[in-house]
Amino acid sequence: MINLVQNEIMKLLAKKRLLVIAVIVAILVGLFTYAQMKSVETQREKLGTSDWRASLQQQIIDTQNRLGSSRLSDEWREQLQISMKQQQYYLDNNINPSEPGAPTFVRMFIENSSDLFIPLLVLVIASDMVSSEHALGSVKLLLTRPVKRGKILLSKYIALILAVSAIVAMTALISYFLSGLIFGYKGLNAPILTGFTVENGNLDTSEVRLVSQWKFLLMDLGLVWFVAMVVATLSFMVSVLVRSTAAGMGIMLAALVSGAVLANMVSSWTSAKYLFMINLKLTGYLNGIAPPIEGMTLLSSISVLLAWWAAALFVAFFAFIRKDVF
Amino acid sequence: MNRKSVVSFTVFSALLTLILIFSLSWALYDYYRAAPQPIKASDTETAVQTRENEAMTIIALGDSLTRGTGDETGRGYVGIVSEQLKRDSDKQVIIHNIGINGQRSAQLKEQVKKQEIQRQIGMADAVLITIGGNDLFQGGQTLMNIDPKEIEKAQNIYSANIQSIFETVRSINSEAAIYLIGLYNPFIELEDSELTTRAVTEWNQRSAELSSEFPRTIFVPTFDLFQLNVNDYLFSDKFHPNRDGYKMIADRVAALLSRQEGVK
Amino acid sequence: MSNVTLSVKNLRKKIGKKEIIKGISFELREGEVFGFLGPNGAGKTTTIRMLVGLIKPTSGSIQICGYDVKKEFTRAMRYLGCIVENPELYPFLSGWDNLLHFARMLPGVGDAKMNEVIRLVGLQERIHDKVKTYSLGMRQRLGIAQALLNSPKVLVLDEPTNGLDPAGIREMRQFIRQLAEQQGLSVLVSSHLLSEIQLLCDRVAIVAGGEVIRVGSVSSLLDNQEKAVWRLDPHNKGMQILSRYTEPAEAGEGLIITEYAEEKAAAWNRELVENGVSVLEMNRKLPVLEDLFLELTGGRTID
Repeated sequence: MINLVQNEIMKLLAKKRLLVIAVIVAILVGLFTYAQMKSVETQREKLGTSDWRASLQQQIIDTQNRLGSSRLSDEWREQLQISMKQQQYYLDNNINPSEPGAPTFVRMFIENSSDLFIPLLVLVIASDMVSSEHALGSVKLLLTRPVKRGKILLSKYIALILAVSAIVAMTALISYFLSGLIFGYKGLNAPILTGFTVENGNLDTSEVRLVSQWKFLLMDLGLVWFVAMVVATLSFMVSVLVRSTAAGMGIMLAALVSGAVLANMVSSWTSAKYLFMINLKLTGYLNGIAPPIEGMTLLSSISVLLAWWAAALFVAFFAFIRKDVF
Repeated sequence: MNRKSVVSFTVFSALLTLILIFSLSWALYDYYRAAPQPIKASDTETAVQTRENEAMTIIALGDSLTRGTGDETGRGYVGIVSEQLKRDSDKQVIIHNIGINGQRSAQLKEQVKKQEIQRQIGMADAVLITIGGNDLFQGGQTLMNIDPKEIEKAQNIYSANIQSIFETVRSINSEAAIYLIGLYNPFIELEDSELTTRAVTEWNQRSAELSSEFPRTIFVPTFDLFQLNVNDYLFSDKFHPNRDGYKMIADRVAALLSRQEGVK
Repeated sequence: MSNVTLSVKNLRKKIGKKEIIKGISFELREGEVFGFLGPNGAGKTTTIRMLVGLIKPTSGSIQICGYDVKKEFTRAMRYLGCIVENPELYPFLSGWDNLLHFARMLPGVGDAKMNEVIRLVGLQERIHDKVKTYSLGMRQRLGIAQALLNSPKVLVLDEPTNGLDPAGIREMRQFIRQLAEQQGLSVLVSSHLLSEIQLLCDRVAIVAGGEVIRVGSVSSLLDNQEKAVWRLDPHNKGMQILSRYTEPAEAGEGLIITEYAEEKAAAWNRELVENGVSVLEMNRKLPVLEDLFLELTGGRTID
């Protein structure tokens, strides 16, 4: 088994996909860092001070004024109210929700990329894990060795798990080191509030507690990894079922993008919560962001994702073992 | 392909996988099991209450006039004042605009009790307030049915609120000058202008009297500014000032502020 | 009789309602090169893919060295080396890494064995270059090296000379013969080219429409099918004389076709000349595959 996994890792590394991903991440982090820097600058210019309390207060006031507008949709209004209450809570407890520094940047970056960007990166690897063997024709050599098909697929899947972990860790490390060049590396121990819950559109702060930023970051990464694994497994399955890598990527891409779009408009279609792509923003629960559909919880999202994961894995293995290779 | 790099990648990412799985279970544990802890003051850094001496700090409180509603450039009188001060003075100017559309005196009374607002008031050299317009006109309702009794009632509530607001501000900051911007009559060219004008002037009278009871508290009239050709200075909603209207208010406030600065 | 290494019994494959392989049976013996001859679409590739376990047969059995491919897949595969269609190796890896990749999938194959097969196919000098820089011939050789890694008893080669230049084809042919004769391998070669099978194989199975039409030694099957083409003057008299011995047929343009056999041809020639018919031209003609099929299937079309 270890030999087979090494084979897959060898192919993975030789294809240099991980390198490409690292470059993409680096470019994106560069862009985000620059954008963040600019926004901090304009904020400072506008307020004449770099005091975070003043700027947080300003954000609250701005939100309050937006809430006064009658053109807001109900869902959006609710979201705004919840985030405003949360900001007020931070302010009242004298905690900076975005302590300047690389750790905060990483946290923001990871949280914002958890439902689309990181799944996309994972897709690059996962979607051609099996279908590329078909495209190359090497599957004919691979499957005529004295090794059971299930074992071959398992070795590929293990390699995929390793690659997903590497991608998640790589994203965190690259964004940490690059953004630190601008924002500095301090803030690992900054306090972060967690435990906000949203019920019936209201922010419940009774369970709130403080967590060090590095702990929070690790928890974020754990959740992001889980999401990435689910997406990877699904595209792995698609890669088994669809022989063309491009078609497989297209299918997964459509699903992911539709999830991002749907999340903004499904609040009244409650059974949409069983779709995997609606459940990808797990980090939102730690931050007390209202889920796209009333009644979704961290546990329900994880259960839905687990169910998709198990189903995808089953289908992938079933199809791969049974399939005739023409 | 280097065999070593394959092996080291495998080992390294296997390790990462374990860490991430651990993090995941920790996140779940923490989310569902960890007990809420009351946040102790020692956990958080205390707010620095020092006033920045080098800078002129202004906090603007109030309603849509503070917000600048109706000014197509989005600045409002606060924005124009800050621009003028920045141009005319070599000091740094810090402006906190806390205005909220549609705010009434009762809401402002609550707002100034908030911790962060109080901190900002504490650091301010000047406090600008526009309030009362929504109390009096109630979004145009008063205009439909001008009932002297209702106006009387609103005025009493307003007086009590403004009294409390002044007290709160003064208790935090005894130094800062407070500028209460008076009301104008946007309906002066409509029928029943006599009634509305009387209501506004009486209202302003009360505001001026209340202001005089507090030290360094200045009532800034605007009624006169909008007395003639009011429609040239109003936004298309015929209620909020337009850019020119805000400019007139700002000129007056800026003049007072620069005097204050000069005195110091 | 030498040992049977590969035995196929009554193999069938249905796809949907269509039966594309309709009961194929044949056997391979140790040290022989067995040809699998048929036009494109006859079911050669499907059959071969069933042999190597890529496609699951609907019914029938395949045994490699006594192990059933379906029931004891890994055991059976240990004795099998194969190249299905082109040797599609990983272009982004070096030749060595490709071999390493497949060696890791086999029990007990180490560097020594890898070096041995590399030497056998003569790739020592380029083995550490990326496969994408290889010529087709080199890829073919690397493919064979890969197929020989597990010291197989049965080697299955699907169209091994496809796309090679004449020199490469000759080289490949010698190499395959050598494997069979010196190492005692059973080699199954599929081809749609009659000439290739004729030059390479000991025995041949002729496939069409998903069935084996005939199995036999190459000489018995193909040599009988050889024809002689005559151009005689005068034509009619020549035709008359030939009709006494055999069944000549008009082939247009003044040509006559008869069966061919060395001793008969000499005799007929003598006879013709003695009767005053000059033989302007006499050629041996290898039958084209289509003719052979027409002959074997009695005019049934190949589809």
